[in-house]
Amino acid sequence: MTRLVANRRQVVIGLAATSALPNMGFAQSMSPKYGGTLKISHSTRIATLNVMQLSGPAEYPCVDMLYSGLTRIQPGRNSAGPDLATSWEANEDATRFTYNLRQGVTFHDGTPFTSADVVATYEAILDPDFGSPARSVLDVIDSVEAVDDHTVQFNLNAPYADLAISTAHANARIVSAAALAGDRNDLETKPNGTGPFMLESYDSARITRLVRFDNYYMEGQPYLDAVEMHLFPDLAAETANYLSGNVDVMLNVQQADFARIAAAEGSNALRVPAGRYVNVVMRQDQPPFDDVRLRKALAMSVDRQLLVDLVLEGLGRPAYDNILSPEFQYAIETPGIPYDPAAAKALLAEAGYPDGIKLTMVASNRPAIRGQVAIAIKEMARPAGFDIDVEAMPHDTYLANVWRKGNFYMAYWGMQPTEDATFNLLLTSTASYEDTAWFNEEFDELVRRGRSTSDPAERAAIYAEAQEIQLRDTPYIIAMYQDVLTASRDWVEGWIVHPLNRVFFIESVWLNRG
Amino acid sequence: MNELVRHPTGLVGSVLLSLVAIAVILGPFLAPFDPQAFHPAVRLAGPSGTHWLGTDQFGRDILSRLLTGAGPTVLFGVGATALGVLAGSIIGVTAAVAGGWVDSVIMRTLDGLLAVPDLLFTLLIVTILGGGIGEAMLAVAVAFTPGMARIARSSVLSIRTREYVLAAIARDESRAYIIVQEVIPNAIGPIVVEATIRVSFAIMIGATLGFLGLGAQPPSTEWGLMVAEARQYMYRSPWVVAVPGLAIAVAALGFNLFGDALRDAFDPRRRR
Repeated sequence: MTRLVANRRQVVIGLAATSALPNMGFAQSMSPKYGGTLKISHSTRIATLNVMQLSGPAEYPCVDMLYSGLTRIQPGRNSAGPDLATSWEANEDATRFTYNLRQGVTFHDGTPFTSADVVATYEAILDPDFGSPARSVLDVIDSVEAVDDHTVQFNLNAPYADLAISTAHANARIVSAAALAGDRNDLETKPNGTGPFMLESYDSARITRLVRFDNYYMEGQPYLDAVEMHLFPDLAAETANYLSGNVDVMLNVQQADFARIAAAEGSNALRVPAGRYVNVVMRQDQPPFDDVRLRKALAMSVDRQLLVDLVLEGLGRPAYDNILSPEFQYAIETPGIPYDPAAAKALLAEAGYPDGIKLTMVASNRPAIRGQVAIAIKEMARPAGFDIDVEAMPHDTYLANVWRKGNFYMAYWGMQPTEDATFNLLLTSTASYEDTAWFNEEFDELVRRGRSTSDPAERAAIYAEAQEIQLRDTPYIIAMYQDVLTASRDWVEGWIVHPLNRVFFIESVWLNRG
Repeated sequence: MNELVRHPTGLVGSVLLSLVAIAVILGPFLAPFDPQAFHPAVRLAGPSGTHWLGTDQFGRDILSRLLTGAGPTVLFGVGATALGVLAGSIIGVTAAVAGGWVDSVIMRTLDGLLAVPDLLFTLLIVTILGGGIGEAMLAVAVAFTPGMARIARSSVLSIRTREYVLAAIARDESRAYIIVQEVIPNAIGPIVVEATIRVSFAIMIGATLGFLGLGAQPPSTEWGLMVAEARQYMYRSPWVVAVPGLAIAVAALGFNLFGDALRDAFDPRRRR
């Protein structure tokens, strides 16, 4: 049985919500049972527990259990709700924010949580030498000061309406001031947070075990006694263990296995549409990709629906080069780009390649989807005159030699919480991971204005214009949005999937075993 | 040749090798479809009238991929073995002919390398050189060199004191003449036998490297890579994994049986 999680644009997207909602309602109407150990399987290593720097898919659920942030992304949507901050308000022009902190919260070691911890954490994040991934969305903060023990104030260097979402960044969770003052290498293995679970044992090659934190601020939660993260480097073994009931939750399900897991007895396969995508990077400060006609020709040579069917097994949606998926509040209705090799061939000739063009596209081997999309595009674009040579490469070599340097390669990005974060991740001239050399000042200006505009209608207009410019110039080819897939056994109640794949709400999960 | 075919193992080996040889030489011409063309309507299908061995995850015809993949797969094995045999023979013959401390130094070094299993050694070299079919071939060749050198050396040593060699020495022939005209032709038998058997190992190591993503790269039709790419679909359609897997087995078995038969044929004690 497939459960779909409620989502703002679910109906628009056209994914059937079949039996999802009644089942969830049923789960919520029962009172949760306490106790038990939840076993979660994952296929990538938990290389570190350093909340300020980690970025692994299996590391995010760990820090979501171990730590709390000031704010937290809410279930099923991209908005921020309270976590360690109970409320926050901005001044008139959104340049100064005051956060009121929760009282009576303690860290796992018993020390009380105060504004000093918040100041220390944010100062570490904003330190360029520390290299926190959260810095790219929080660098609008100029300074942070403690007003009193339970109030902090953020002074921004530019107006920014979405600060509450930025403070919910997965790497912006609150670490104690003492931990940051001490040996910071201890953050890797000795996490001391305020989250619902505490670390009991950590073996990055096998099992990471967390146990209930009795003083968690949410009354009566978590329900579970313990959570175990089991590493299965082999995907077939992971699926087999899940299906035999040895583990309760499979963190990430492969597309190829999803139908089998959904059909299995006593298994709930969950999918949620998300703005995760593989994008074709075309460096535009040198030939041949400096010619927009060539980029448009390639865009017309990709059969997007077929790509969804072949590579995603239908578990996704075709995209038409808009970096914002329909989940975003200000995403526009993106016009479709029909697969038309003949028109693409004509456009290619117009761009100066009447006999076609030979290109080498790099695809790293992790995750496998990069290579699959590359091979599919190679075949689809062949009739249009694109002779693409796919060069597969180990991921580390790719990161060192090609990423942000090469002129034609496959990138892969997860969904960001806001429009602003998405644009500033890749597309603006000063983006954190800028790799197209597109450099469009008009676009930069619109994104800057969108950031500081708080009126929704005005903001919608600004972001619509920015998207139009993006669609006009095709800085990337984005052919599909990939659903986030997970699965849980049917005795697991409250396991949900979020499109951002950064928040998991395991404090609300309980085991309904007879 | 008659000698070979009379043996049941030799016969089976020869038949299997002929099949493989046909695929290698004629494969690309026999393939009914373009091995890279997608047929989205019949993804992961079992054997049918159109697609005799079924289709893979992109709807590519498995038979066509198998036939075009025979060349790269088998030539990888043959090429890697040939390189290894060449390097090993030169080292082994040098050691045997030179004797004394040169022999000792070379052979102790090679003994040390022999302690490392072939696959592990290959993986080590590929990790240093980086993945890719050329690098993988070189790695297998290097891994084979110590073993081949040892065989070449012992083969030469057993011949060095034979009468015809002593006669040549007595005739005051040059050292090069003795090695090329007298020693090598007589020492080559065991080397050829060993090489033939090793081709099967080379094919399997090549497939293993392809499977691990360190050898041939997609969308190549190398057989090991075909297995690796199809592995996650094996519950949906076992054909995608079974067919290239079987092909690897057939090629490896062919070389192995042929090598065994060759050894028997060369062995005077087993001749009637």
